[in-house]
Amino acid sequence: MEMLQITGLHKRFGDKEVLKGLNLTVPEHSIFGFIGRNGAGKTTTMKTILGLLKADAGEILVNGEKAVYGQTATNRYIGYLPDVPEFYSFMTAREYLGFCGEITGMTKKEYRERSEELLELVGLNGEKHRIKGYSRGMKQRLGIAQALLNRPKLLICDEPTSALDPVGRKEILDLLLAVREQTTVLFSTHILSDVERICTDIALLNEGKVDIQGKLSEIRTQYRRDEYLVETDKDEGMHALQTAFPEMRQTGRNQLVFSEKDYAPGEVFRFVADRAVPVVKIERVEPTLESLFVEVVEK
Amino acid sequence: MKSLLAFIRKEMLEQRRSGKLIILGILFIVLGIMSPAIAKLTPWLMEMMAGSLAGSGLIFTSVSVTAMDSWVQFFKNMPIGLIAFVLIESSIFTREYQTGTLLLSLTKGLERHKVVAAKAVVLVFLWTICYWLCAGITCGYTAFFWGNAMVQHLLFSVTCWWVFGLFAVALMVLFSTMAGSNTGVLAGTGCVVLVSYLLSFFSGLKKFMPTTLMDGTSLIYGMAQPKACTVSLIIAAVMIPVCLAAGVSIFNRKQL
Repeated sequence: MEMLQITGLHKRFGDKEVLKGLNLTVPEHSIFGFIGRNGAGKTTTMKTILGLLKADAGEILVNGEKAVYGQTATNRYIGYLPDVPEFYSFMTAREYLGFCGEITGMTKKEYRERSEELLELVGLNGEKHRIKGYSRGMKQRLGIAQALLNRPKLLICDEPTSALDPVGRKEILDLLLAVREQTTVLFSTHILSDVERICTDIALLNEGKVDIQGKLSEIRTQYRRDEYLVETDKDEGMHALQTAFPEMRQTGRNQLVFSEKDYAPGEVFRFVADRAVPVVKIERVEPTLESLFVEVVEK
Repeated sequence: MKSLLAFIRKEMLEQRRSGKLIILGILFIVLGIMSPAIAKLTPWLMEMMAGSLAGSGLIFTSVSVTAMDSWVQFFKNMPIGLIAFVLIESSIFTREYQTGTLLLSLTKGLERHKVVAAKAVVLVFLWTICYWLCAGITCGYTAFFWGNAMVQHLLFSVTCWWVFGLFAVALMVLFSTMAGSNTGVLAGTGCVVLVSYLLSFFSGLKKFMPTTLMDGTSLIYGMAQPKACTVSLIIAAVMIPVCLAAGVSIFNRKQL
């Protein structure tokens, strides 16, 4: 079942059209990477899902229910972590989660137990200080805890790792992986390595539209160009290969790339074996998200 | 209801931990003591200055102060108290817009009208406590030194001023839902009060203006009768819920 379905979403700020008919489908229990450049409309899309912005056109279904602007009932399915989460700095983490529990209508017993569970999950259970003194990473972790408090079916994170150092980033990504069992995660980012690390599904947002969408593995297969890379140890080896296979392109120092269409890989392997060309590696070129991203953005 | 109470509790905790509660408390206690104290000290001050003033030809025989002077001072002090109150509390909404703290509460399903309601309740509560604390202290000291018997329409005039404060609170809430920063709140509230004050100079309009409620001095001297305030009292009493309702309606559509 689809946890989130967006069809034909349009949003304009003044004369700037940010979303131009965006379509997006997020399957249940996926970790969905919502990728786009800065200013591509990721935050706008998320805020519209949450009813914080009014869409000019289009429909948003959360767990099969229509999301509307303002007071939207669909928010009860959603946990939200903004890019820079701001809490009441005069409270402690425990007090804040208690406050969140109360406004969502949980009982005291419920939110106390859940708070302890979540504070342990995000590693803030020993923290007695007020939020005022928290680092960015700590705030981000508390943000995840508050977003998961009422066991949402959909966790929306807006660039959760962008402002963090490598350690903080790893912590957040591990957390998102850990909560996959409980919920569906939609997170926006422009850090492609994060996506490759944890996402099951992706959507590439470019100029207000989703250009590519689907399972990460399927997209990889779809965009695989059946190319191979040969890296030789010395320049001579490379020259020998280039002479024998003139269609090979040089892509780096001692690196050659060829397509399956031009030469059968077996043929190349045989040449390497017969001539005893010292090679560092021969590998199939997997399309990276980066190449995909650049391709889409520059199209 | 539970979420409303939770939000009110959060507001009160904020008032306490940010030190605003203590500042307001001290301010209104000091204002409450000041009114009778200034009245009490006037003869002594005059006596102190009598020597130097005699040199310039002014001679004091005796200065008598009464409960009236204490209450006149009270009504002079209250605008200071109200202005300070509005200044201190003007960012009660806008700080949340600027930091984005409301986003998390609202996306958790907290209804928007409860945010307005909770903040309005806290403001009304604080104003009421501060104001009556101040009035109570003045009343106690004045009764102790001179007795309040000669003061006319005391309870009515003091209540009128409290209602005027509530009117200012309602304006604050209304402008807080419109403005993005506390400057807007202060400007909006200030302008409405100023316009009301200026219009009350026209004798035909005076009885309609909520600022008429501030004129406690005329009431306690008996120069004005309570019924002169009836219309402005009714207008203020109608305006308060109207401002709050308009605030809720604007806040429901506000883009955060």
